[in-house]
Amino acid sequence: MGNNSESDSSVAIIDARQWQNQFDLRTGAKSTETNEAILLLRRVLSEHPYPGDLDGGSNRWVTETALELVREYRPGFVLLTYAEQYFATRIASLSGAEKNRIMVELRREVDNFLEQTGMTPVIIGRGGVMPTQGFIDISGLDGIGVSPHWSARYGGVHEPSERDLAWLQSHPHIHRVVAKTAYQQLFAEPCPEPELLSDYLLVAEPGYAFKGLGCTMRKPAMVPLAAPELPCSSPQPVSDLTGLRQVIDNGLQQGRPMALIILEGVGKEDFPWPYSLCANTLDWFSYEPSDAQLLAITSGRHRLHEYPPGYLFHLRELKINRYPLSGYFKALPGGTIGDDYPGRSIAVGNKSMAMHMVAGADLCIECFSRNHYNQGSLGVVHRHNKIDHLAERI
Amino acid sequence: MRCHYCEWRCELGVDHYGRCRMYYAEDGTVKERFPDRWSTYETVRIESTLFYHVKPGSQCLVIGTSSCNFSCNYCSNAFVAKQDPACQQDNMYQLSAQRLVTLARKLKCTSIVFDVNEPTVSLPSLQRLATQAHAAGITLGCLTNGYGTPEATELLASVFSFFNISLKGLDDEFHRRYIGIPTVKPILRNIEALAAQCHVEITTPVIQGLNDHELDEVVAFIAGIDREIPWHVLRLLPEDGMKGAVYPNIDKINRELEQARRVLPYLYFHNFVGSEWVNTLCPDCGAPVIERFSLGCGGDQLQQSKLDNGCCTQCHRWIKIYEADHGKQF
Repeated sequence: MGNNSESDSSVAIIDARQWQNQFDLRTGAKSTETNEAILLLRRVLSEHPYPGDLDGGSNRWVTETALELVREYRPGFVLLTYAEQYFATRIASLSGAEKNRIMVELRREVDNFLEQTGMTPVIIGRGGVMPTQGFIDISGLDGIGVSPHWSARYGGVHEPSERDLAWLQSHPHIHRVVAKTAYQQLFAEPCPEPELLSDYLLVAEPGYAFKGLGCTMRKPAMVPLAAPELPCSSPQPVSDLTGLRQVIDNGLQQGRPMALIILEGVGKEDFPWPYSLCANTLDWFSYEPSDAQLLAITSGRHRLHEYPPGYLFHLRELKINRYPLSGYFKALPGGTIGDDYPGRSIAVGNKSMAMHMVAGADLCIECFSRNHYNQGSLGVVHRHNKIDHLAERI
Repeated sequence: MRCHYCEWRCELGVDHYGRCRMYYAEDGTVKERFPDRWSTYETVRIESTLFYHVKPGSQCLVIGTSSCNFSCNYCSNAFVAKQDPACQQDNMYQLSAQRLVTLARKLKCTSIVFDVNEPTVSLPSLQRLATQAHAAGITLGCLTNGYGTPEATELLASVFSFFNISLKGLDDEFHRRYIGIPTVKPILRNIEALAAQCHVEITTPVIQGLNDHELDEVVAFIAGIDREIPWHVLRLLPEDGMKGAVYPNIDKINRELEQARRVLPYLYFHNFVGSEWVNTLCPDCGAPVIERFSLGCGGDQLQQSKLDNGCCTQCHRWIKIYEADHGKQF
């Protein structure tokens, strides 16, 4: 199981409504490649324009797009992410009735997919959200306080002064201040540019968010709980989120079509099916709904961060830009379910820019939104050779 | 007394804050209500701001404040630009000019770019920032709507070394109806004034059916100043009051730009993921000299620069790129 899976052939298809373009996923160079898988994705993308993160219908888009791909491609493994309920709570507090309505719709969409496909589900909520209790302003530190925009509970500080450390360690809403040497021991993956790691990782008390370099201008109304346990519905009980991978592998080995369904912003309070709890932690660290959490689920091991919170991404010295459509990833993670599974696989989701990297599925479709601005959708063909086998079988 | 920063020239008083709600008058002086208060500070590569001809691949510190003197129907930053700035202060950062410059240096930024809202609503803070930044050899750039008074425009030219000015069209009726200003004329005047003394790029957000019929006239206006002014044509994704409007058709607009490309060699069509029209081509031989990848919504990336000492490697023609003029005096 490799760390990275360097693909020279993955093709990215952009659908910006009424207009498509095609690129080599790794280099960003324009691609003119044509094969059945590419044609299939181009058609499905065209027929299923993304409605937007905040405009309703986003979860329905996931189900309908996935069902179309299932009909056409007949995958043995499907990964779906549903995020509309998470988006809805990010910038506005919802009434109980409104939240209930969204959760009922979420359940309906998931059930609809499962009824129509008959796949065996493994469903996990990535953790609930809670009203923001307050912000911890780290802009006034002598060092550089970094608050990555995707994170609330974690931050970092570079070159702190003694005064900074005293302030941070005595702050009533900071739960933990962890030195670089300590958090590096926890994070298994070596960082390619360790000089860009923060000197200290900061952990806020639940409900509090850091405010510093890189923090989004739209302040969240709700923040992820980063709870130590996640709700999970699985054919076999699992004690840790990394255990889900084995459950799926077991099902696939037995010839059962398996669906891994990941629900954003859903904790045990909202999980709409009977569930058991699995650990969302490694030692003292609780995952937020980050790429690292998805990778832990899809690869079955904690591979927390090459780039933990506080990392100064934009100072990376990139001689040649790689994976321009893949957020902070600059290499394709190996050892994911889709990467290892020899059968056909798809992934569909409305959490953008990372799913095609963490799922590793043959065919991926995800929305392409930036700060909730709807840019359209992205399709990725990691492997196209299995579709010919399908044609032969039919 | 009247505010002298923008063409609204609002009557200000101790409790009268003008259209932008960012100034008041006291003791015969226009003063800022919220000095040194910033809505964001973030380090990015310059391509993800709207500058394609400023030191490609360089690191910059992006900053902004709050409020605006326009009321564009389609505003994509309404949560910062249209809200009452007094209500936003809890979310703002209090950072002195010296502190911002120190951060910029630590983060290896060669420039600071004001690109969230309109700089004329925060000019005194920006003047203080420029003093510190220029002393440290850091240049300032901004995105502006170009609606400053002549005297404020001179101030802007002393603060900022490079500008991206939004030219939304040439029709006064469009500006009255969709932008909320009586006429475009001050903007045209200020573009000419700034282009004469600073690096200027121009941006035109295209709203299909509203201002796309004016593209040829905009081209003629720009070409009349300097054919080598980079022109960014943006596929606008309408937000705020126009949310739900149809997305501009990329192929249609691109066809309308074909003629313009023969006039303006540095013409870019973007603000949508995967745009093919973000590379800088040599005006003489057509070779791509700077390649970019566009993610839309301010997420553009440098793929590679092929310049050799500022020139095309194929035909050695000089390519217009603003590098720096550290320590500009004012």
